[in-house]
Amino acid sequence: MKTAIFLTITISVALLAGCQEPMNIDTMHDEGKPVMALDYRDFDHAASEMVQSMLGSGALRKADGTRYVMATGRITNDTMQRIDTDQLMAKIEQELLNSGQVVMTSAVGSKVDQTTYDIRRDIKDSDVEDEFDQNTLPGKGTLVSPHLSVSGKIFQRNIRYDRGHQQVEYYFQLRVSEIASGLVIWQNETLIGKRGSNRSVAW
Amino acid sequence: MKTITHILFFAVALVFIGCNEPPGEKFHLRESVGNDDLVDNVVTRPVGYAFSALIGEGIQVDQAVLRRTKGGVLELNVNGRNNSQFTKRFRYRVEWLDADGQLIQSKTSVWLPMSAMGKSTFSFKVIAPRAEAVDFRMDTRKWE
Repeated sequence: MKTAIFLTITISVALLAGCQEPMNIDTMHDEGKPVMALDYRDFDHAASEMVQSMLGSGALRKADGTRYVMATGRITNDTMQRIDTDQLMAKIEQELLNSGQVVMTSAVGSKVDQTTYDIRRDIKDSDVEDEFDQNTLPGKGTLVSPHLSVSGKIFQRNIRYDRGHQQVEYYFQLRVSEIASGLVIWQNETLIGKRGSNRSVAW
Repeated sequence: MKTITHILFFAVALVFIGCNEPPGEKFHLRESVGNDDLVDNVVTRPVGYAFSALIGEGIQVDQAVLRRTKGGVLELNVNGRNNSQFTKRFRYRVEWLDADGQLIQSKTSVWLPMSAMGKSTFSFKVIAPRAEAVDFRMDTRKWE
């Protein structure tokens, strides 16, 4: 009898220990419960809606068939969470680039690639300048100025739903402006709302 | 005999409830909004709900229309109907295929939420991520 009880306890402990193993998330078909904070599914959702709206609007299609140059402006995180807004923008930029309608620039905006300027400064008028094929060196006035800029913000509202529950609303807002005229040529908002226990933390 | 009569009565009531809201109706006056009538009232409604759950009514897709947008990409318009008495929440994902039938990898092909109220039509549209997209395939799953 004692042996049987001991065996049952051992097996139960082993099974429970097995349940605590970490596992990879199936990000393609994640059937996990939603969480009160923003997770990757929310960013996927928001990015997908934004890109579809942008491409479907026709605002990014140039009449002459050439591509617009777009700079990424400021994307403000006005939520209670520490969010790298690149979680949203990297997906959107990737899709816009792949769409063939837009070229993103890293020469200006919030995503300046400093290497572009470092190389120009480091090579030009330095001892190593002669080592380079002069035809491949970037000259003055070769950077392309953007036609469009994309900017926006993510903000959060926490609302008391009832005694034990809260409602958290996350707003994703983006707009595309024509730099020459300052006119907004596209704008969209995606709302992701969550309702859950007060004990769930949304930051 | 009494039981058979009751069953028959409910069956007839259900048939009428089913016919009450033809697809494509412009105006949909729901319970507690529109007038109750002989076939849709506080007595027959619970039976309708129970029957709907029993036979497992759900979503059906009636129409999928592809057209090109001003942006030069394909737009898929999906029109369907929720046959159930209950609001159906589900997720859908559209994947786009090129002229060779190969999948176009895109961050826009993710599971997106959709909700359709009971006995109602619903519509949503999806935009292709590239001009090369010529066809699509759509999948659905339960909203977790």
